[in-house]
Amino acid sequence: MTDKFRENFDNWQKSFEKETKQSSDKAISDTDEGIEIKPVYTKDDLKKLSFVEENSLPGQWPYTRGPKASMYTNRPWTIRQYAGFSTAEESNEFYKKNLESGQKGLSVAFDLPTHRGYDSDDDLVMGDVGKAGVAIDTVEDMKILFNEIPLDKMSVSMTMNGAVLPVLSAFVVAGEEQNVKKNLLSGTIQNDILKEFMVRNTYIYPPEPSMKIVADIIEFTSKEMPKFNSISISGYHMQEAGADNVLELAYTLADGMEYVRAAMSKGLDVDDFAPRLSFFFAIGTDFFMEIAKLRAARTLWSKIMRDFGAKNEKSLILRTHCQTSGVSLTEKDPYNNIIRTSYEAMSAILGGTQSLHTNSFDEAIALPTDESARIARNTQLILQNETGVTKTVDPLAGSYFVESLTEELSQKAWEIIEEIEELGGMTKAVKAGIPKLKIEESATKKQAKVDSGNRVVVGVNKFKNPHEPSVDVRVIDNNRVRDDQIKKIESIKGSRNQKAVEKSLSDLTNAAKENLNLLAYSIEAIKNRATIGEVSKALEEVYGRHFATSLSVSGVYGKHFENDEDFMNVKDKVEGFEKSNGRRPRVLIVKMGQDGHDRGAKIVATSFADMGFDVDMGPLFQSPKDVAKDAIENDVHAIGVSTLAAGHKTLVPELMKSLKELDPNSKMIVFVGGVIPEQDYDFLYKQNISAIFGPGSNIIESAEKVIDLISKNLELK
Amino acid sequence: MKLAEKIINGERAAIAKAITLVESSKPDDRIESRKLISQLIDNPGKSIRVGFSGPPGVGKSTFIESFGSYLVGKELKLGILAIDPSSQITGGSILGDKTRMIEISKNPNTFIRSTPSRGSLGGISNGTREASIILDAAGYDYIFIETVGVGQSEVVASNLVDIFSLIVGPGSGDELQGIKKGITEYADIFIVNKNDGNLKIEASKTAADYKSAISYYKKNEVSSSKEVLLVSAIEQTGMDEVINTIQEIVLQNKKNNSFESKRCEQLKFWLSEEIKNIMQLDIQRKIDKAGSIGHFSDRIINGDISMYDAIETITDKLQSE
Ligand code: B12
Ligand SMILES: Nc1nc2c(ncn2[C@@H]2O[C@H](COP(=O)(O)OP(=O)(O)OP(=O)(O)O)[C@@H](O)[C@H]2O)c(=O)[nH]1
Ligand SMILES: [Mg+2]
Repeated sequence: MTDKFRENFDNWQKSFEKETKQSSDKAISDTDEGIEIKPVYTKDDLKKLSFVEENSLPGQWPYTRGPKASMYTNRPWTIRQYAGFSTAEESNEFYKKNLESGQKGLSVAFDLPTHRGYDSDDDLVMGDVGKAGVAIDTVEDMKILFNEIPLDKMSVSMTMNGAVLPVLSAFVVAGEEQNVKKNLLSGTIQNDILKEFMVRNTYIYPPEPSMKIVADIIEFTSKEMPKFNSISISGYHMQEAGADNVLELAYTLADGMEYVRAAMSKGLDVDDFAPRLSFFFAIGTDFFMEIAKLRAARTLWSKIMRDFGAKNEKSLILRTHCQTSGVSLTEKDPYNNIIRTSYEAMSAILGGTQSLHTNSFDEAIALPTDESARIARNTQLILQNETGVTKTVDPLAGSYFVESLTEELSQKAWEIIEEIEELGGMTKAVKAGIPKLKIEESATKKQAKVDSGNRVVVGVNKFKNPHEPSVDVRVIDNNRVRDDQIKKIESIKGSRNQKAVEKSLSDLTNAAKENLNLLAYSIEAIKNRATIGEVSKALEEVYGRHFATSLSVSGVYGKHFENDEDFMNVKDKVEGFEKSNGRRPRVLIVKMGQDGHDRGAKIVATSFADMGFDVDMGPLFQSPKDVAKDAIENDVHAIGVSTLAAGHKTLVPELMKSLKELDPNSKMIVFVGGVIPEQDYDFLYKQNISAIFGPGSNIIESAEKVIDLISKNLELK
Repeated sequence: MKLAEKIINGERAAIAKAITLVESSKPDDRIESRKLISQLIDNPGKSIRVGFSGPPGVGKSTFIESFGSYLVGKELKLGILAIDPSSQITGGSILGDKTRMIEISKNPNTFIRSTPSRGSLGGISNGTREASIILDAAGYDYIFIETVGVGQSEVVASNLVDIFSLIVGPGSGDELQGIKKGITEYADIFIVNKNDGNLKIEASKTAADYKSAISYYKKNEVSSSKEVLLVSAIEQTGMDEVINTIQEIVLQNKKNNSFESKRCEQLKFWLSEEIKNIMQLDIQRKIDKAGSIGHFSDRIINGDISMYDAIETITDKLQSE
């Protein structure tokens, strides 16, 4: 270190103190990750690098600076927008329009019944068909979905995990019937079941058989579909569920290790499949942290794979898709979301992603409209064509700050990875429910920071827009979609060779019993026009359906409000309520239908309990009838329905009906929280809903409103 | 129609409201509650009450889901009272038992009620006994009571039921040493859960440990026959043995009259508990009213008065009131 630097540094410290009246050692900012950010970084900090290799260049070990030497200077990232809704016909139209407007890759969003292995005509999915993605029941739907989209040229990404076997099979058969052999198909199937058990909740079978299916797919594709990515190991959903970046990074890579082991246990050599493993991360608002995360992910993965004995360089390289954060986007003042998404997209690019989805500004309201989808896509087109970010590779390399962050994230994530390895790997950890709980804890902390005003969200807890704009929403008539799908199913079932279907389904069941690779059997059944639901059931016979038990955090929310006046006010009200009513206010919080978004419900539940409420937590996937029984038996004061996947207009009226059926005199209050477009408020109020709490609701204020409503209701009785 | 009639008619909402009433801490409600219970006691049903206790996480709820599905499959009506430990710090609670009882909670022949324990002794909340009287009158064949078993709680829990079973997990045999006497005294059935997958060996070993411990204390008077059963709640194995054992014990106890005499003993126990509770509340109210504890503790700390003198002064004062 030159003396000149020391001298400069001392002078800087003095100036800093003069300007801020605070020593620079003390001026530390905190992050969700528990990483302390200093007001200035210097070349001293580079001396602390250990995971990061200062001398490495793009495309070189440990790939911190990028998987390729040339990166965007040769070819920009792929603009890959995730979309799907209603019927295959409508989604197909939408895809074709987008491809004409500059989108490069396709990414299919399936509806929740498809995800969970139910056909559209199943009673369990009445409110969900075509609502939050495209409904696919048979290979005929899949063929319509890719009509006039040549599958030998277009790379297709499919977010499918639970019903991965029938859906991948339908894709393969659709290709075949387009005259494209399966070895020419390119794209990605998500096929990442572990994070489903943690956060995404579209699992079907228990963890062990689910892991077997993952391995089957890796094995099959490594042999038969060399251009196809067999898995997309996803941290995205973890961050969206509330994980901080260290948790996201650590759990994702630990999941990856588990999949590598699963594939190797099939006798595959690591280099047979590792080049076709891909990743998927979320890019939130913490600008530099997100950049560092992508750099750290590549750095750690190369180390992990080397330890697995990978020899092929391609096996060492982490390639990733990214999506900007949906949870950072607000229902209030929604045009702000365009700005948020732009910054997040910039982070993803500076971090070196291979492909990117940018969210639409109406994210917290409904599925994107054609117009909002266009703006989202243009965000990337502008980045690629106007800003010059593609001209040089990894422009932030050598930044004292970014390199330090990359190092610190790597270290912290590595510690967690080692802990999980000690536990026996992610499958075990997931079964014990530990990662889910950690993520919920982190989510609850984030909520507390926003509700206490500690973290500013523009337009939500500060700088509110007095003139909220009204925006158009995409409306999906799910009864129409469902009717259309049912007709298609009926006609296919009427014309197919039933004997062949039954034989291929029982072959599949037997293959599961005998522990054979299931994909070929599933392809055969799908080719014979078995439905997605039938294939799923054939396996359910052997594996059963998984029901998750869930743990809850306690005290995490309350800790942020120890002396907070509003919080104490609600607590006092609760205690007063207990004195005059002989028990605490009791609220049942439920998720109905196939909607697996449980972040909000879990946070609200733990926060309400911290304020002294008795909270009954219903399981996922309840039917309105079950909810009514549960509510009445426990004589709760109120039911809080958390609904995010657009089933509310079917499920809420069903619930009100069931309540009346079970108890004609029921005076139970029902309120609704989650993603509800304003256009639907009147509809819900007409159903006698007492209050609606949309995205961004302050939980303390919500709790106060709930207890006031309950008290008023009791007085009326 | 009066509440009691509706309950006897098996009306779900009425049963639920009645349980709220007997759990209520409001003085008016307590009076109503006593009236209701005296009416119901005159119309006893035929329920067998079974308690399931055990350490947190051994699978009590999962077992009840599994065993319960088995029973409702035999057209039996099942009432379940799950006592959920509530947070001591916040006072509130998250009642998550139902996320483990998904299948049976859908069945029209079940009634499942969760109750926060409110930190009361033995994880049994106020009103659990009364709630089981309500379910009995409503015509449920079996009433299951799930409680978290920690140390002393077995005494209270076992006094609520005809058959008391302790659920343990594989590997908990080591803990036997310390609690041997207590549990063998109060439990009729030991259920070793999680007898599946690679836990099987450990589960069998645990069962063997319990068996030998029991033979050691066999001479016990409170409950005569004791069984150790291996089950897997997840794989739904061992359910036949559980129901057979329960039915056998009931039959045997009815034959030798211990079924009724046990219920008599329990009544005695609850009488004294109730009286104790009422007195305790009364005393607490007096202590609070006197408000002198704070004053005396200050004086003790200051050295103005010895602790024992302070105690004597306070109790004298309370007793003279
Ligand atoms: C996080 C998220 C996810 C996470 C969920 C993680 C989890 N475990 O919850 C992941 C990434 C897994 C996910 C997946 C999907 N998602 Co999503 N997701 C979101 C997102 C971005 C945020 C939701 C959230 O958690 N917010 C934070 C919590 C705290 O807020 P909240 O739930 O709104 O709760 C607040 C209030 O609403 C209210 N509240 C809510 N409930 C209750 C209850 C009570 C009692 C009370 C008092 C208050 C209350 O208080 C809370 C605190 O303020 C929303 C868009 C958005 N910005 O809202 C899309 C969104 C809900 N998802 C959507 C879709 C389509 C999906 C998928 C179905 C996509 C697909 N086809 O594969 C999948 C499948 C998920 C599934 N199994 O159901 C759509 C739904 C479309 C619609 N409604 O028309 C949305 C709206 C995005 C969009 N515009 O496209 N998603
Ligand atoms: N392997 C195995 N696991 C089981 C079995 N029964 C329950 N479990 C698991 O044990 C955990 C706890 O189960 P619960 O039913 O919630 O246990 P509990 O005793 O009711 O827990 P508390 O009510 O919290 O005290 C869950 O993860 C279950 O999946 C079983 O038979 N075999
Ligand atoms: Mg339990």
